[in-house]
Amino acid sequence: MEILRIAGLAKTFGTGHLEVRALADIHLTVSTNELVALLGPSGSGKTTLLLSLSLILEPTSGTIVFDGQTIYNQGWAGVDMRRVRREKIGFIFQSHNLIPFLSAKQNVLFPLSLIGQTGAAAERRAMALLDYMEIADRADFLPAVLSGGEQQRVAIARALANNAKLILADEPTAALDTQRGRRVMALLKKIARENQSAVIVVTHDVRMIEGFDHVYHMNDGHLQPRQS
Amino acid sequence: MDLAVHDLKQHRGRFVATVFGVGLLFTIVLAMNGLYRGNLQEGLALIKSANPDLWIVERGRGGPFNEQSTLPEHYRYSVQTTPGVAQANAFIYYSVERQIGGQSRHFSIIGYEAPDGLGGPRTMLAGRGLGAAHYEMVAHPKLGVRIGSQVSLGLHTYTVVGLTKESISPDGDPIVYLSLPDAQEVLYQRDNQEIHSARERLLRNLTAQGISGTQAERLLEPLRADTHTINAILVRLRTGADRTTVARGIEKWLYLSALGTDDEVELMLKGRLASMSKQLMLFRTLLLLISVVILSLVVYTFTMEKIRSIAVMKLIGAPNRVVVRLVMEQSLLLTVSAFAMGIVLIENTHQFFPRTLLLLPSDHMVTFGIALLGGVLASLLGLWQALTTEPAMALGGG
Repeated sequence: MEILRIAGLAKTFGTGHLEVRALADIHLTVSTNELVALLGPSGSGKTTLLLSLSLILEPTSGTIVFDGQTIYNQGWAGVDMRRVRREKIGFIFQSHNLIPFLSAKQNVLFPLSLIGQTGAAAERRAMALLDYMEIADRADFLPAVLSGGEQQRVAIARALANNAKLILADEPTAALDTQRGRRVMALLKKIARENQSAVIVVTHDVRMIEGFDHVYHMNDGHLQPRQS
Repeated sequence: MDLAVHDLKQHRGRFVATVFGVGLLFTIVLAMNGLYRGNLQEGLALIKSANPDLWIVERGRGGPFNEQSTLPEHYRYSVQTTPGVAQANAFIYYSVERQIGGQSRHFSIIGYEAPDGLGGPRTMLAGRGLGAAHYEMVAHPKLGVRIGSQVSLGLHTYTVVGLTKESISPDGDPIVYLSLPDAQEVLYQRDNQEIHSARERLLRNLTAQGISGTQAERLLEPLRADTHTINAILVRLRTGADRTTVARGIEKWLYLSALGTDDEVELMLKGRLASMSKQLMLFRTLLLLISVVILSLVVYTFTMEKIRSIAVMKLIGAPNRVVVRLVMEQSLLLTVSAFAMGIVLIENTHQFFPRTLLLLPSDHMVTFGIALLGGVLASLLGLWQALTTEPAMALGGG
């Protein structure tokens, strides 16, 4: 089932001789259970594309259709972007970005509270997700006392809390050593296979993309399928 | 999920320190409120306690408390004969500093026509009012005396026969009630050297004018300073007498000023008490402003420390109200906790202040309302920062 379709997406910063084309005619389709990697060097446009997919940065032109709903078509289509994000998108960050004053469990409970899930049912779901990430025993710990790998697993549990249709992962292994990085990537693959989610991972580390369904390379704002 | 409380739990030390600091400021604000009310109460206590129908004072003066007023004592007989006047009594009031119980005490003396003259103590806390013509006193317990205490004032020793709590001078000093002649004697009493010097001075002045020594000696007595002066005459009107008519009559025929108790209260409020009230208001305003500035800085710091978390919240779809609640709740929690500390502190320490602090629940409520408003204002800077934070900040390294 198609989750995301991008057609002719472009983003330009500045005008005239200061104009910078960050994204140029991007076409991308992602379906449920797919694991997609976006590779590319710094300044290639990865982050700009991620910001556009996160519905934070308005493109200059093109179309974004997400879960059957047109989000952008030569302009925002009047949808509540924050609502789409909290109900349908999960985010995993390079530096985990757990809320430092909330315990691991509370960090998972937070996105649930945003979609109106509270009480015992929410607690059960949070614990189930932490258990799925094999970190249930650290549920009551604050992020500061968790290792980098543990924090990233909590962050993944948080991203899954809202049953996201699309999970956007921004350099999820950048702050981890190779072994922990591979473990996180294995978890993302597991999520893509076992949940009704699609996962898009932005990374610059080619060692981490083994087993991905699609790998794209970004260069100078252009997105191209990577030749294996 | 109460994010504000979770965050404050992680910053207990700073939270407690801020509550303590701002709480002390609120304590001072509440003390100022109490001081203001106490100042008004004390400033008007004597006027309200005496509460005659008319205060007769020197022409054009706002005496006897707001301004000096001096009248010859015998004027009271003229006032007594004015139509509509049932009772007219001389009244004298002044401040002194004397040694009592081995300590220097500042207090005010009221001289009235004991035992039944107007202006005397009305409600006794213990003992009785003045019964004898001389050498008895009624005092405020704040003077540090008890029933039966012996107090030396000038040439004589006075026995404390009663204690009254109703009378505090407008300066907050305890009041001592004496009979009129005793009060005049204490006021005008001078030591022998001073009397001798004044006599020599007068003699020199007379002889310098060509008056012979013998004639000058004979003139000394009639020229001596008159000590039979008073500050006001307190009047009780006959039943049915019109106060305005009686007052106009006294002003016209006796060339004096006649004021009602309401006039006296207004004179005090607009005169002697006005500058103090303005001063206290200024202090209160400044302290509240300082409290709000401190709260603003603390809330801003709290917010800035969470700015990346706020970006994450916005990125994962938290509506603005979640962010607003986080910042504003912290500000209000700080404000309410600090105010509660201020209330507890002032309610338990007000009795140790040298001046009376009259703490009124209505003042607490108004100050609390202003403090809450301040708390909201204090959160504005942090709110602005939080609401303008781009969710994109959550992406990327760092």
